[in-house]
Amino acid sequence: MNDTQWPRYEVFKQDKPHKPHEAVGTVHAPDPEMALQNARDVYVRRPDCHSLWVAPEDAVFKMTAYELEQDPNWHVETIPEDAPEQTYLVFTRQHHRRSMVAASHVGEVQARTPREALRRAMEQAAWTSKPVYLWWIVPQAAITASQEEDAPSMFAPAQDKTYRDQSYYKGILFGKHLQKKHAKSSPTGKKAS
Amino acid sequence: MNATRPLPNVGMPDDPDYEEKLAQFEARIARGEKIEPGDWMPYEYRRQLIRMISQHAHSEVVGMLPEGAWITRAPTLRRKLILIAKVQDEAGHGQYLYHAAESLGVDREELIDLLLAGKAKYSSVFNYPTLTWADIGMIGWLVDGAAIKNQTMLAHCSYGPYSRAMVRICAEETFHYKQGKEMITLYAQGTPEQQRMAQDALNRWWWPALMMFGPHDTDSPNTPVLMRWGIKTKSNDTLRQEFIDEIVPEFLEIGLAIPDPELRWDEESGHWISGPIDWDEFWRVVRGNGPMNRARMAARRQAHEEGRWVREAMVAYANRRMAVGS
Ligand SMILES: [Fe+2]
Ligand SMILES: [Fe+2]
Ligand SMILES: [Fe+2]
Repeated sequence: MNDTQWPRYEVFKQDKPHKPHEAVGTVHAPDPEMALQNARDVYVRRPDCHSLWVAPEDAVFKMTAYELEQDPNWHVETIPEDAPEQTYLVFTRQHHRRSMVAASHVGEVQARTPREALRRAMEQAAWTSKPVYLWWIVPQAAITASQEEDAPSMFAPAQDKTYRDQSYYKGILFGKHLQKKHAKSSPTGKKAS
Repeated sequence: MNATRPLPNVGMPDDPDYEEKLAQFEARIARGEKIEPGDWMPYEYRRQLIRMISQHAHSEVVGMLPEGAWITRAPTLRRKLILIAKVQDEAGHGQYLYHAAESLGVDREELIDLLLAGKAKYSSVFNYPTLTWADIGMIGWLVDGAAIKNQTMLAHCSYGPYSRAMVRICAEETFHYKQGKEMITLYAQGTPEQQRMAQDALNRWWWPALMMFGPHDTDSPNTPVLMRWGIKTKSNDTLRQEFIDEIVPEFLEIGLAIPDPELRWDEESGHWISGPIDWDEFWRVVRGNGPMNRARMAARRQAHEEGRWVREAMVAYANRRMAVGS
């Protein structure tokens, strides 16, 4: 069988308008539009989501602090003289805490290649005040974004499904009378068959 | 090895720099750093992760079947919405995990092909039948409860993509557990028939749920290396005991009986001590001879075939859009 693999897309999810887009995982799809739909089904079964981006995984340049340390010449490359500058989005992770997010969007740089973009990102004091363990560089041109008008169909349905949240079940009654009635029953009490 | 395609040939013990790299790798894990896909890792770490993550992914996917069978028979609209949402979540969990496995150099498709060919393992608990509606509640409380125990531990895993998938899954699983606990609690307080159904479900699911934690530590050859590299942080028996200690008082509290005549509270150790687990049954089911192994695989293959036209339509649509350059 060879009909389910398709290209991989990284998915970036923004929970609320003023929060950064965060890398939540990947999906497979035959094209970016369906990658967005799949991303919605796989990563937005619950609130909150304000916006989704997808980008082909092979367009995302990823470097860990460990890789950078292992290869001091990582930035050496020949850039053609006529290579145009373009906008790259920069994502970082600065902790090793338990988290469901690989990296968060911190901003943009202009550069001619992903490596040059990473070098420029590393010069930004605001992004490197704490050690960065993971860098992701994504050309803006590679990103397909959900549109404002898609929100009602893509993201609003999850908001009404409150039963997907554990707090919906707060009202479980472990009735006091039950506790009294069975407090002394043996573990293999009378009801075992 | 589960993969049909060779893995990156790095991190082999006979590599000249293996010892030096291994020392760095183990120091990073000791410092609590996450290992990421581009980082050096021992070949054996990669192999063990693919084995575990793919089995875990298959379990989520096959796990949809016992419950999915009851969606059309849910007793109320509320229960139906809840069950559909839960089964959808399990499909999503399978996807998170196949993608975590892909970050190690295998393809989702080759893993799914192995599953459909009957060559991949998945949790044997899903090879038991769901006979009554009460099974749906009992699976949520007991089976998802056992899964959460394991997954909460794996959320601390040293491999970044697996730990992140686990954190996301745990956040969703809590709802699966709560809805089951709610249902069984209400049944236990309900009519004599509902009480009987709840007890019957517990009788049938108790032992398969305890087996979900895997063989005893003494029969689990992979455990030492998994713990050494921070893939697992607790052994099978430790997790199983924690689970028993947590869940036994809860069942007793609502008036259900644990179907284990030897179960006893041990004052000295502060643990509930269970009777012996029937490992012959466990291995029989793992090896493909459980009550539902064949039916599960047949249902999975049928679903895959019946979904083919959707995949073909998606490809046709993508090709057409590319051709017209929209
Ligand atoms: Fe799950
Ligand atoms: Fe493939
Ligand atoms: Fe679940």
